[in-house]
Amino acid sequence: MAEKSAGASRRFRIRHRGRGAQVFIYLGKQLRMFVYQNDWKVLPMAALIAGLVGMVIRRRLFVNMEGSLMGAFALTCVGIWNGCFNSIQVICRERSIVKREHRSGMHISAYVFSHMLYQGMLCLLQTGVTMYVLHLTGVQFPEKGLFTPWLIADIGISVFIVSYAADMLSLWMSALSHSTTAAMTVMPFVLIFQLIFSGGMLSLPKWSAGLTRYTISNYGLRVICAQTDYNNRPLVAAWNTLERMQGQEIGGTVTLGQVLDLLGDKENPAVEEIRAAEVGRVFTLGEVKAALESSVTVKRLLETRLADGVTLGDVLGLLKADRLLERYRDVQLGGVTTVGRLADALSANEDVAQLRDRGVTFRTTVGRLLDLAGKDRVRDYIQRRAMEASFTEEYSNTRENILSNWMTLVSFALLYALLAAVTLEFIDHDKR
Amino acid sequence: MVVLKILSILLLGESKLGWAALKLPFIAGLWHMFRKSGVDPRWALVPCARTYMLSRCAGREPEGRVLSVTEFLLLPLQILQLSQIEAGYLAALGDRAETVLLLVGVVDLALTFVQIVYWVRVSAGLTEVYGVSRRWIVLWLLFPFIPALVYGFNAKYQPAWKLEDIREELARAVSGGFVEAGEGLTVNLQKRTVTEFFQKKTLLRDIHLNIKPGHMVLLLGGSGAGKTTFLNAVNGYEKADAEVMLNGGNLYKQYKKMQFEIGFVPQQELMREKDTAEATLLDAAKLRLPFNVSAARRKERVRQVLEIFGLTPARHTLVEKMSGGQKKRLSIAMEFLSNPSLFILDEPDSGLDGVMARELMQQLRKIADMGKIVLVITHTPDRVIDLFDDVIVLAKDSARTGRLAFYGSIAEARAFFGRKKMEEIVRAVSGRDEGGEGRADELIARFAEVQHG
Repeated sequence: MAEKSAGASRRFRIRHRGRGAQVFIYLGKQLRMFVYQNDWKVLPMAALIAGLVGMVIRRRLFVNMEGSLMGAFALTCVGIWNGCFNSIQVICRERSIVKREHRSGMHISAYVFSHMLYQGMLCLLQTGVTMYVLHLTGVQFPEKGLFTPWLIADIGISVFIVSYAADMLSLWMSALSHSTTAAMTVMPFVLIFQLIFSGGMLSLPKWSAGLTRYTISNYGLRVICAQTDYNNRPLVAAWNTLERMQGQEIGGTVTLGQVLDLLGDKENPAVEEIRAAEVGRVFTLGEVKAALESSVTVKRLLETRLADGVTLGDVLGLLKADRLLERYRDVQLGGVTTVGRLADALSANEDVAQLRDRGVTFRTTVGRLLDLAGKDRVRDYIQRRAMEASFTEEYSNTRENILSNWMTLVSFALLYALLAAVTLEFIDHDKR
Repeated sequence: MVVLKILSILLLGESKLGWAALKLPFIAGLWHMFRKSGVDPRWALVPCARTYMLSRCAGREPEGRVLSVTEFLLLPLQILQLSQIEAGYLAALGDRAETVLLLVGVVDLALTFVQIVYWVRVSAGLTEVYGVSRRWIVLWLLFPFIPALVYGFNAKYQPAWKLEDIREELARAVSGGFVEAGEGLTVNLQKRTVTEFFQKKTLLRDIHLNIKPGHMVLLLGGSGAGKTTFLNAVNGYEKADAEVMLNGGNLYKQYKKMQFEIGFVPQQELMREKDTAEATLLDAAKLRLPFNVSAARRKERVRQVLEIFGLTPARHTLVEKMSGGQKKRLSIAMEFLSNPSLFILDEPDSGLDGVMARELMQQLRKIADMGKIVLVITHTPDRVIDLFDDVIVLAKDSARTGRLAFYGSIAEARAFFGRKKMEEIVRAVSGRDEGGEGRADELIARFAEVQHG
């Protein structure tokens, strides 16, 4: 009996495959499933999604702030969508099989790690397809990347990491769910949470803004915005709105005092430019003569009778004014000043002071006002100021910023994979 | 007034005093219903717990858990929604008040939906237990105090079964004795318990037996008698308060080393449908065979097993394309690869016609004849009973615990139960609510006497 027991004990000491070797068993299985279980369909799906998104963002991505933000959001959504739908069913659909295999010596860590590798390959392929389709749809990637010589490759890395993190999140959801129905019920909530709390597209109430720190979409948006150089693109929304309002009439009553006070405000940077504008010019006596000769009013004055048969023109002729004007035609008159100086002079004038309360009613259109101020100048000014106001530190186009966001996303992916493994370790406790 | 309302919420679950008053006849009705079901009636006075107990009486314990937790979560929400309290915290919160109010409202709405759905489920259970029309569900939903009073006070309404633990004395009285570890499989199971919702349940107790190598054993029992629980405890996957010895090795202490000594074939064909039979076996071989077995030997072993189970012609067929019988054989073949000494099969013949089922059982007989122990659960034992050596009969006693009602040869079983067919034995040990004779307690006690004198 003792001999038998010893023999049995020896027999039990046989070594089976460890975690490392098991990873390859499951990787092989998953690759077969890729072919037989139609997992390959995710690739044409990725192409289709990228095509749709590409058509929307192709002319906007690197043009202005709004286009960059929208494009970054769209690319992040593509990544999250692809990632989530890659793995949401992979564990729950074979949960009972996993349980049986776990009973037969399968290590959960090996199983989850094989999924990590397989899903990584799938995400990589999808990203390749996505970026290629974006290129085909005409999205231009004009600048060099900060990490590779091609910006498309840099953005591709971001899209890959975003999809991989989303993939691992879904893998965890799949490990938590006991059936595919349950997983597909949870999925929309996960997606909605990611989209709402991306932190860039929707303005969130203060209490919920902190939640953006925990979403993949937030870091995806940050990194792609940074790569599209969001902060150095013009913000065109304000100008576009103003331009659309060109036909709209505006009007009101202002007093001379109000106008002079506005123009006299030396602290106001917006007025500073107007104050610096030059008014008036130097002109010659010849130019005065030509202007007088062409003026109908002057002509009428010259024909005015001063006495019987004598007109002002006759008197001036007797005085040889014509010849005098001709002789001194190059004498310069007048001068140049600035709006500021003129406004200051008017404000200091006592006679003008008495007229300060006199109101002037005006009615004009936005377009005429823009013409008056100079359309190009106003557009440049508004776009520059709006861009400054929309500057976002998190979207800085620096290697450090991009790398930090990549690292955060990779940490998310690893955390979710770990959670998936830990969750699946409890598979033995499934309801019997 | 606020204090009164809070007390009303906490004790009766209602803030409006009129509705709260209607809870009193409800509680009175529950008091008597609990008595009828063998539950301590004082539970009717405890908020949340009374709902859980009522769900247990309805045979809907999982639903009861959700319902009582939901009720518990709704209590603070109800208090927060009392106008006087609401005004206080809204003033304190300022701008955030609207958000908080919205959140409270949304959570309240979601929980109320959950409560309605689960309350319907529990009500459906009550109509089944009391054998009344399903229309009672409407009353349970709208005016629960009416059915509670009727079920509670009217002697005509009696539950089909009781939730009692009063037979615990009997359970103690027939505790089995320890079996000396011998050749083959020795099981000394004192207890297998689970804790669910703060309650400890005994699923199995006092099962002591020894199965010799080369024996093919039938595991019989009514629904819920603990057959699968017993198998899981025997194969060490779900450990019990037990000692399981297999060929001299303690399975519980050396589980990791001995797990390949046991082949467990589950009821369903748990294999990947899109894999071929050969690929399924090759992967299973990689998991189950020792690390140092070469690829060539592994392939050879797979070829042998395919041959033994008659699967060679279907080796390149996808699992989903295989017939029911082929799938069953493949499932068994997966476990056979590692040449285990104990084979456990949970309803391997389910879904197979008589001919195929017999063929499969003959295959198992051959495995037993190789000197292995084969333990099988089947619900149609009589068509293959000649292939079995022994039978284990498990029965659910009045405390709803799985017990050993018999273990011995087929002939001994027929003599012990006075029945020729195995299906008649199952009927004898099954409860009356399951269409059986309800003799479980008597037979358990009798077998304990026979086994231990």
